[in-house]
Amino acid sequence: MNTPLLSTHGLVARYGDFQALYGIDFEIGKGEVVALIGANGAGKSTLLRSIIGLLRVAPEMVILDGRPVGGCRPHRMIADGVAIVPEGRRLFTGMSVEDNLRVAIDHARVTRNAAWTLEGIFALFPILREKRRVPVESLSGGQQQMVAIGRALLNQPRLLLCDEISLGLAPKVVREIYQSIPSISQSGTSIVLVEQDVGLAKSASDRLYCMLEGRTTLTGRSRDISREAIAEAYFGGSHALA
Amino acid sequence: MHWLDGLIQGVLLGGLYAQYALGMALMFGVMRIVNLTHGDLMILLALTGISLAARFALGPWPVLVILVVLGAIIGLLLQRLVLDRVVGSDPLPSLIATFGLSMALQNAMLQFWSADTRSLGAGGIAQASFQIGSLFVGVLPLIVLLTATVLTGSLDATLRHTRFGRALRASSVDVEAAAMTGVNPKNVYAGATAIAVAILGFAAVFQSMRATVAPADGPFQLIYAFEAVIIGGMGSIWGAFLGAMVLGISQSIGFRIDPGFGILAGHLVFLLVLALRPQGLMGKV
Repeated sequence: MNTPLLSTHGLVARYGDFQALYGIDFEIGKGEVVALIGANGAGKSTLLRSIIGLLRVAPEMVILDGRPVGGCRPHRMIADGVAIVPEGRRLFTGMSVEDNLRVAIDHARVTRNAAWTLEGIFALFPILREKRRVPVESLSGGQQQMVAIGRALLNQPRLLLCDEISLGLAPKVVREIYQSIPSISQSGTSIVLVEQDVGLAKSASDRLYCMLEGRTTLTGRSRDISREAIAEAYFGGSHALA
Repeated sequence: MHWLDGLIQGVLLGGLYAQYALGMALMFGVMRIVNLTHGDLMILLALTGISLAARFALGPWPVLVILVVLGAIIGLLLQRLVLDRVVGSDPLPSLIATFGLSMALQNAMLQFWSADTRSLGAGGIAQASFQIGSLFVGVLPLIVLLTATVLTGSLDATLRHTRFGRALRASSVDVEAAAMTGVNPKNVYAGATAIAVAILGFAAVFQSMRATVAPADGPFQLIYAFEAVIIGGMGSIWGAFLGAMVLGISQSIGFRIDPGFGILAGHLVFLLVLALRPQGLMGKV
């Protein structure tokens, strides 16, 4: 692969005295879909939070387009073309669906040919057009996830970070949400999928990274990696022996 | 007629209270920041305005312009230098910091201006009135009420329909999520506090034209502002306007029952609303 869109180099992150990441080397190219799998507490969300600037890291630990951007504040990262669908959706309750989306339009990356418009989001998730004037908290879980994805897309990202977008949703709804991934990818946006469902992650991505206790334990092309290799990387060597 | 007059005077008084309350509605109602210097800042602006008017022989309207600009600058500095450091999920630090600042401001003003009550010469407009039937309506109180209405409408529209308003509402709900959507919460909060204190510039001019101000008056305006916001409902700008009307009318009717009962009547109505409709008249549950 030629120069990656975004890469991390020996990224370490801590919450106070607790070290959550021990030197993560990660990269994603333009238009790629990369899955990040691992058990609860493996550090997947922490990695995304470090990239988007919610955790302070050293500048050279995160490289975007060849420039060190580690530790930049989130609004700077969004302006630079990285957007996030946060874990638990984190929508603006009390505001309408449309106003939720408008906050992202107001603060989108400045670009001459914006890939996403309000109409584009409504085409991707038609139900949101019907619900546009409705307070966002009255939507179902799946519909709220669509708003969260739409909101991130309207930031006009070059790189979209998706943190557990299938969590707590019915299988049918998860399929519906994941059907939107290829069309997002086709617009040229790179996607990082943090996912607990290994099968889903494997089928939706080009490459995957498996994380365990703050380290990456496996990486490779999604279609080439066997389930056994994933199981070992997912739970650690001791478990594989048992 | 006696009671109708009380009602009209109450609405006009409510116009002044609405000007105290709007900034509070923005900071306490929307941003959920407790700023105990609210009243003192108004007094500071009023005393500054009175001194400027005396020193440079300015009329009330140039003073108004100066105080609104000065208020915006003070608000910006207050947010950047004090509130940014203490605002978080715990309301106690901002409470303590602004309580201390309020004490310091009151005593500094006492030192600088002495305890004398002062007012701003309003020219003929302070006495001007017109007659409807047997009722007299003052021109100045009517200007105050109209200004309050326009300010309320503008602030409400700003919150609903502008980029800044959406960013502020989003930041108030979830500041981290707002940042993850590209909002710079520090700028948004600084802008909001600047607006809140700038509105106090209007209140300062009208308060010192209609009545008098003294360095220790701040806490009264603070209480009225809090009460108006809570009566109206947290987060609702027109609610704060309505709350200010309820407070003004209650006090005005109270004064007519007994001159000593006016202020207390306002507080009692506030407690009554708190008991019967704790979410406020226009508040969502």
